[in-house]
Amino acid sequence: MKITFPHLGNTHLAAKALFDGLGIECIIPPFSSNEALEEGSKVSPEEMCLPYKIMMGNYLQSIEKGADTIILPGSCGPCRFGEYCELQINALKKIGHDLTFIVIDNPFDIGKKELINRLSKITNNSTKGKIQKIKALTTSYKVIELIEKIESIAHYLTGFEVNKGEFKTLLKECKVNAAKAITPTEMVNILKEYKKKIKNIPVNKHKSPVKIAIIGEIYTVIEPFSNLYIEDKLMDYGVSTKRMLTPSWWIKDAILSPLKLNSIDIRIASRKYLSHYIGGHARECIGEVLIAEKNNFDGAIQIFPMGCMPEIVSKAILPTISNDKDFPIMTLVVDEMTGEAGYITRIEAFIDMLERKKSDVLYGS
Amino acid sequence: MKVGVPKGLLYYKYHPFIERFLLELDAEVITSQDTNKNILNAGVKCCVDEACLPIKIFHGHVIDIKDKCDLLIIPRIMRIREREFICPKFCGLPEMILYSIPNMPKVMTEPIYATNEKELYTWCKKLGKMITRDTSKIRGAFNIALKEQRNFIFGIKDEGYKKTIALVGHPYNLYDTFINMNIVKKLNELGVGVITEEYVEEEKIKLEVKSLFKRPFWTFAANSYGFTTSIAKNSEIDGAIYISSFACGIDSVVLELIKEKIGDFPLLVLKVDEHTGEGGIDTRIEAFIDMIERKKNNENNISAFRQHTSCS
Repeated sequence: MKITFPHLGNTHLAAKALFDGLGIECIIPPFSSNEALEEGSKVSPEEMCLPYKIMMGNYLQSIEKGADTIILPGSCGPCRFGEYCELQINALKKIGHDLTFIVIDNPFDIGKKELINRLSKITNNSTKGKIQKIKALTTSYKVIELIEKIESIAHYLTGFEVNKGEFKTLLKECKVNAAKAITPTEMVNILKEYKKKIKNIPVNKHKSPVKIAIIGEIYTVIEPFSNLYIEDKLMDYGVSTKRMLTPSWWIKDAILSPLKLNSIDIRIASRKYLSHYIGGHARECIGEVLIAEKNNFDGAIQIFPMGCMPEIVSKAILPTISNDKDFPIMTLVVDEMTGEAGYITRIEAFIDMLERKKSDVLYGS
Repeated sequence: MKVGVPKGLLYYKYHPFIERFLLELDAEVITSQDTNKNILNAGVKCCVDEACLPIKIFHGHVIDIKDKCDLLIIPRIMRIREREFICPKFCGLPEMILYSIPNMPKVMTEPIYATNEKELYTWCKKLGKMITRDTSKIRGAFNIALKEQRNFIFGIKDEGYKKTIALVGHPYNLYDTFINMNIVKKLNELGVGVITEEYVEEEKIKLEVKSLFKRPFWTFAANSYGFTTSIAKNSEIDGAIYISSFACGIDSVVLELIKEKIGDFPLLVLKVDEHTGEGGIDTRIEAFIDMIERKKNNENNISAFRQHTSCS
């Protein structure tokens, strides 16, 4: 059994740690790229959203490398993501790839038995004992937490750095070296080391950079290729960014949501504007804007794939929030046709505007 | 009290209920006009660009009546079957309206979970309390309205035509004659009868849906899928026309599932949006009917795969 999975930001590191710990061979697909998107689009329905197409590209490239099992998290609506598995199984079969799909659904929708049944498909291939399996799981969680911590520190402190580009270089180096690690424990150690290093980078606390919150649909904000590396671009501009949606947030949210203990801060913040969960992460999007505004951020950028149903609802609400709170929000819609030049122009113009607003330039008066 | 009911989205499926309920409570029911160009234009103007056509039209209906009524009902229909949804946009519809249209009157936006009578009554009670204080009156009105809804016959089944075509899609696309440009009439004029999902037994639909790997969690998606795949097996039906609004996330999935299942059963997908021209729709329908006729007359089905077949 050779397991593969779609890319989602840094989750490939955690997945590598997990499967290495379990002693199962896994194939990390090449990083999402234009080739992957092109290949994926060929076998995808035309009106399907961008994440589906990139994921298909990931699968196809992994299959070329010999993968025969695909792991995919699932959901049961109301967003389209829950239907991905069915369509993807069919689409791959049609072009002659009969693979095993393991869909990790919420036990409340498919029943505990079925979930254990599906999970055992993975664990039965592992030769390790029960304790080691649990250890592999905790290690991989540690990995995802560490890399997210490092990333968020780097993204936020970029605006304060003394020597331009230091955070970006270190972050890049960290990801490359972590992927090279042979054992999961080694990976954790490498990440810990970089966490120390990143804290030692000199920062100028008296600077006041432009601060932007990245909000929107979870896949497009986390997977850097799908948003045309917006966080890297903002780092180049010396802008501090913050994004609340991360893979570990998603895990915590999924575990806590049956108890209604998930993301309480977001729920409180969003109550005034959107008081119901309407699917996807629309409510989170609204909550994050309001939290960012409270934390003295200068603006927010919403990113979602063309046709994303929940985010369209939040896009309808955002202008009102922007007016009420005098808080600039820009929406970027991405799909496979997004041109990079137009995209950059819009981001640059937005940052220029925020800088002007910050330095109290009264435009036109 | 004047209560406004916009004539959009699921109005077409549940209007007997809501209108009867309000009338029984002695409220004056204000409905918007049938969808027309002005309503569409007004809706497009204030609605968020990315939304689909039915949502934009709903915005138009709200604008049409918002100044004429004291209370406006914006249905937040969460689900009409257990563990299923309709569409995320339905759940967030009140927010979309309230933050896009200025100067709204008092609105009723409580969520509707119409999975059983009790749940539905909870909503009706909240609505009734805004109109009257008399609880027994609300209960009575609810029962009468429910009866009216159950006795109302939905769906289209034309008799006496040589060919019959199944019309598939969300109810608001099928029954709003402005959105679909009166497709039923067009088809009838071409000598084609129409059948809709209400005339296929629910059991058959459920049976088809069960064959899927994943239980579909959208009510209308499950219906459309089950209906189309079951009539594809029925030799009396000649083809299916799926009316889909542009950028509808649900249709993008369902259509793919349907195409996968029905093989070479004739299926025409009509995409509608605010720019759709009537001429193009006519041409496509006529071509589709021609194709079905030819298929019937010619035993060697005309291949779509570039192989030569004689048409004589």
